Amino acid sequence: MASTTAPPAGLSSRHLLGIEGLNPLEINSLIDRGNVFADIIQSDNRFAPPLSEVLRGRTVLNLFFENSTRTRVSFELAAKNLGGSVLNINVAGSSVKKGETLLDTATTLNAMHPHILVVRHNCSGAAQLLSQHVDAAVINAGDGRHEHPTQALLDALTIKRRIGRIEGLKIAICGDIANSRVARSNIHLLSTLGAEIRLVCPTTLLPAAIDAMGVDVFTDLEAGIEGVDIVMMLRLQTERMEGTETPSQREYFNLFGLDRNKLMRAAPQALIMHPGPMNRGVEIDSATADDVERSLIRTQVEIGVAARMACLEALVGTGGAS
Amino acid sequence: MTDLLLHNARVLDPAAARDEPGYVAVTDGTISAVGAGAAPEALVNGATQAHDCAGACLAPGLIDMRVQSADPGAEHLEDLSTLLRAAASGGITSIVALPDVSPVVDDASMIDSLSLRANRIEGARLFLYGAATRQLQGHAMAELGLMADAGAVGFANGSRTIMDSLVMRRVLSYCSMLDRPFIQHCEDHNLTAGSEMNEGETSTRLGLIGAPAEAEAMIIDRDMHLVRLSGARYHAAHVSTRAAVDALRRAKNDGLPVTADTAPPYFMLNELSVSTYDTAFKLAPPLRSEDDRQAVIDALADGTIDAIASDHIPVDGDAKAQPFGPAQPGASGLDTLLAMTLSLVHREHLPLLRAMELLSLAPATILDLEGGMLREGATADIVLFDPQASWVVRAADFASTSRVTPFEGLPVQGRVTASWVGGTQVFLRT
Repeated sequence: MASTTAPPAGLSSRHLLGIEGLNPLEINSLIDRGNVFADIIQSDNRFAPPLSEVLRGRTVLNLFFENSTRTRVSFELAAKNLGGSVLNINVAGSSVKKGETLLDTATTLNAMHPHILVVRHNCSGAAQLLSQHVDAAVINAGDGRHEHPTQALLDALTIKRRIGRIEGLKIAICGDIANSRVARSNIHLLSTLGAEIRLVCPTTLLPAAIDAMGVDVFTDLEAGIEGVDIVMMLRLQTERMEGTETPSQREYFNLFGLDRNKLMRAAPQALIMHPGPMNRGVEIDSATADDVERSLIRTQVEIGVAARMACLEALVGTGGAS
Repeated sequence: MTDLLLHNARVLDPAAARDEPGYVAVTDGTISAVGAGAAPEALVNGATQAHDCAGACLAPGLIDMRVQSADPGAEHLEDLSTLLRAAASGGITSIVALPDVSPVVDDASMIDSLSLRANRIEGARLFLYGAATRQLQGHAMAELGLMADAGAVGFANGSRTIMDSLVMRRVLSYCSMLDRPFIQHCEDHNLTAGSEMNEGETSTRLGLIGAPAEAEAMIIDRDMHLVRLSGARYHAAHVSTRAAVDALRRAKNDGLPVTADTAPPYFMLNELSVSTYDTAFKLAPPLRSEDDRQAVIDALADGTIDAIASDHIPVDGDAKAQPFGPAQPGASGLDTLLAMTLSLVHREHLPLLRAMELLSLAPATILDLEGGMLREGATADIVLFDPQASWVVRAADFASTSRVTPFEGLPVQGRVTASWVGGTQVFLRT
């Protein structure tokens, strides 16, 4: 059995709303603790005490205003691994359709005294707004175009387990940057830990003044991934787009889609990541996505549970979930 | 017989460049005498009512040229009565309301009806803009001539720009014929579709959709071509960007009949206020960059921007208790208009007389309204205020029933003591 004796991660806040604002110690502590949990999951001792006592007697509400099976299940598994009770509420299909506001929902849920709220919402800042009106600790599971902190943590943990470090790596984040909360969280996290971040996307998908976040911007995929250690592809978020940002999916794949030929411009052993779900043939082709030597995409999903366990445990440790 | 004598005051009249100790006498709702120094003994003894101003500033009543009313249509937020009384308590003796109520003010009967109701309320005077297009849809011109006859002081398309250039040309042509100004909300809606705040580093960091500042200047630039064609008087409302200020400066240098106003949020705050996702800072236009804010202040000082309006919008608290994106833009402004403008004086961006010009004389001139001056024969719309009185903005204490403000908790200097409309006292701070 893997050791569980590493100290639990600590946070200065009772909520986890974003990577921006976390210091390197907090980030590293979450990643290190996630690493311990990843070992435990892989050894299949995840339900053994004392780990299963961390959330014993505590209720985790997965409150998803936006559909996301992958993230919801990942949080659910993480909470159950730690002994918590989990309730999944697909708000998009219930009270909201009857006209209830976000804060009405918060008030109602607050009366049920959950300990942790895991919130996914299509509006930037929604998790922060909720955190101001509930007693529970809030984990942002993705808010609009703003942040998706647990995705960034699991991405960092995935990289660290494979390469052993983040500092000094060259990482290209490619695709729909403007609409991506994953990109923002990863820019904050990976640059805080010393990686060199490049962004690659068409100018129509580039948010204003993004270079102020300390990144280099490229509008040519092959130039952007030249010599990089990690190519992190993003989903073309057609549901968030007006339909005018790119002329066609076919053209997008030609210019910005990743295939084996373009990947040859990256470092020889460069790895591929994608937060999923993928649009095969749009931002990445299947042969590249499924390349077991180079692709970390499946590993990201697996590691996600461990990273989220570290976050849940940290909130218990900071008293937010008590 | 003098009805009212206001003496021992610091008399401010931007129209006469007057800033001196003195008095103002009122007879039958009209200013009958203005003088320097102590009021003559005979005037003091002969006045029905004498008010010792104790050295406070006596100025023309404020004219707020951009106010959103919620009546009719959403009276639960603020009805005409509370709106006009709240204005009076803010030193505003005339407000000009936008046509976007429900039903829309797009025919003469709405002008008549609202004017009649306002006349029965003791508070600020109410003037109205007529809708430039039917239902503010931006397609078919409304009955501008009939509304002008009914008293519309100008025409506006509410918070929507007329995007169709042909419709805009026709509206301006009609405004020119009727000798009424057109008031434009300058925003290229095609460029700002879906936007949630100003475009820039902050919008990117917060993951909010940005509206580029250029969207404001683009409309002004387009409209200037149409102003040349039509000869209409054109007024750009709530100007918020350096690009728009530059466009206005060019137009004024070319001799076009163009004026502009801005509102306190655009010279007091910048986009960083949005960083906490506090929806009190969600405004339209959005809060801009610090560079834009500085440009607005410079434009107020050099005359490129002619007036300051409150941009008052009664907002439902529920409509603000939402995530930033879907939250309704707007905030209350009547209670804070004078204090925020005086902050420009306290920070030495403007002389006091220029501040009063921006708040009274300029809107009166732009809209051909009475008021805006303290001279014999002028209507006795007057405000008395202490420019040094300090207070802290607390929305809960507002006279307006709309209590959302981006200035919550801000310490300010300058407070209204009393106001008179047509010589009748409509507010006295006790």
